[in-house]
Amino acid sequence: MASDVIVRTHNLGKRYKNRWAVEDVNLEIYRGDIFGFLGPNGAGKSTTIRMILSLIQPTAGSVELFGHQLRTEREKALAKVAGIVEKPDFYLYLTAIRNMEIAGSLTLGKTPDRKAIASALGLVGLGERANDRVKTFSHGMKQRLGIAQALLCEPDLIVLDEPTNGLDPQGMKEVRELVVRLSKERGMTVFLSSHLLNEVEQVATRMAIINKGTLVVQGNVDELVRNSTKNILLDARPQKKALAVMRKMKLVKNPLPDGEGITAEIESPQIPSVVAGLVRAGCKVYGVKQERSLEEYFLSVTESEGGSPKPNPRTTP
Amino acid sequence: MINLIYFELFKTYAKWRTYIGFIVIGVLIPLVVWAMKMEGGKIMQFQMKTLQNDFFITGNLFNGWTLSQMIMNSLWIHVPFLISLVAGDQLAGEATAGTFRLILVRPVSRGRILNSKYITTLLYTASLVFAIALLSLGLGLTILGSGDLLSIDRNMMTIIPESEMWTRFAIAYGLAILSMWVVASLAFLFSSFVENAIGPIIATMAVIVVFLIITNLPVDSFEPLKPYLFTTYQDVWQQAFRIPIEWDRIAKSCAVLAGYCAGFWAVTFVVFRRKDILS
Repeated sequence: MASDVIVRTHNLGKRYKNRWAVEDVNLEIYRGDIFGFLGPNGAGKSTTIRMILSLIQPTAGSVELFGHQLRTEREKALAKVAGIVEKPDFYLYLTAIRNMEIAGSLTLGKTPDRKAIASALGLVGLGERANDRVKTFSHGMKQRLGIAQALLCEPDLIVLDEPTNGLDPQGMKEVRELVVRLSKERGMTVFLSSHLLNEVEQVATRMAIINKGTLVVQGNVDELVRNSTKNILLDARPQKKALAVMRKMKLVKNPLPDGEGITAEIESPQIPSVVAGLVRAGCKVYGVKQERSLEEYFLSVTESEGGSPKPNPRTTP
Repeated sequence: MINLIYFELFKTYAKWRTYIGFIVIGVLIPLVVWAMKMEGGKIMQFQMKTLQNDFFITGNLFNGWTLSQMIMNSLWIHVPFLISLVAGDQLAGEATAGTFRLILVRPVSRGRILNSKYITTLLYTASLVFAIALLSLGLGLTILGSGDLLSIDRNMMTIIPESEMWTRFAIAYGLAILSMWVVASLAFLFSSFVENAIGPIIATMAVIVVFLIITNLPVDSFEPLKPYLFTTYQDVWQQAFRIPIEWDRIAKSCAVLAGYCAGFWAVTFVVFRRKDILS
């Protein structure tokens, strides 16, 4: 499993004067992940990403990409990496093709093939604007051009920092779909930072949350959200009988009627036992719904952390 | 590396600010040539008045060569400004546009990117000086004709035969390019500190003005400083019009100017390698 880690940061930190913008961040991203990197504005997401992409020199710690130390083997480490940090910026006075050539040549060491450029531009729906100057492009088009130039060199890892910023709902949906497609069809690992929780919830397989410069948690999205869920909505009938049974269970706290169902505080691992108990008592269980969303989870961990340092955040592979 | 330089040149020459320098000299030099064609004879006569009391002068001393040398003398105040317009934009311009985020996440070392930009800056500088040479010599010789050169440099007057002109002007412009490379290197250095191209232009001009004042003011307390200022050596191109050419002085000046270029590049290299891209 360790060999599948393609991004590893070790006690990564950045200090500006007396303030640590990022401190002791230990990230592990596995091959094939769509890794969501969550945090409120100013939490340190962009600083971390810039350190991973070598735009910012870390004050402490190290970054390892594909087994190569970024500090000492920069060219090898970044050979299979593409990134868009914050918003994609281009040479506005040049055409889309020229911008693609410049970006591509820096990665490939030679001017990329025009067919490859046309193919990448076609993939993001900019084929017909290839010869237009980028200054005539809308924000959404620049975002798509950014993705096209990132894809041109067929990276194994694509780092997208707030890729849907400033996009309309349709544009955001398209980017999300593209991220999933890249992972599924091309086997790319995607490192996606966002402050939009639903965005990460919809596409990410693993995630990390950073708050006030400190990594709060990282792991599998489903497990993190599910394991921490307490509020459960049960559709068990008859309702009165089910309520009575649940009130006698030690595993269940505060069972209350909620419409035709029952809400209660139950630790995720205990749900099967509760359902079994209800069935044994003659109740019929039609559904169990974990009410807690990523948003609630996010708020709970960021608010409870309060920015206090947590050097060894719990990790689930 | 050649590919990097190619794209840097492409980017530089695709910007319209690059052509400001060419436009300025493209307007200024023909204007000067036209004005000299109209009134140059009178100016020359006035300058020669005192000389004619002691010397018997024949032939055409007001010609294309004389004009080109006059233009060289007068343009070196403005050319640094035109050079810093582009050199000061090389790094700061990328920071302003946010395009460092596009190029510095690539598997190319910062050193190579910096070097390609530096070489591009030097090539631009050389091309601007070459354009001045081409325009002033081309227009001057076409309109005013050829002849010997009467060269007046500080308190020395020299008449150089026409047959030596191409060689001497080639040396002069070569030395002028080196002299302007120092200006370009300084603007390039300032460009690495900031994220706005205006700052490097102002800073470069400020340094040049201060250094020029120190270099040219006949004040004793400035004398110890003068050997260390690049402006002391920037008029090295004038050596090309002396008889005989003092090669040892030229070599010393070239070494100092090249040293300044190397020094400015080295500091830029250190700054740029450590620079955090925050924009």
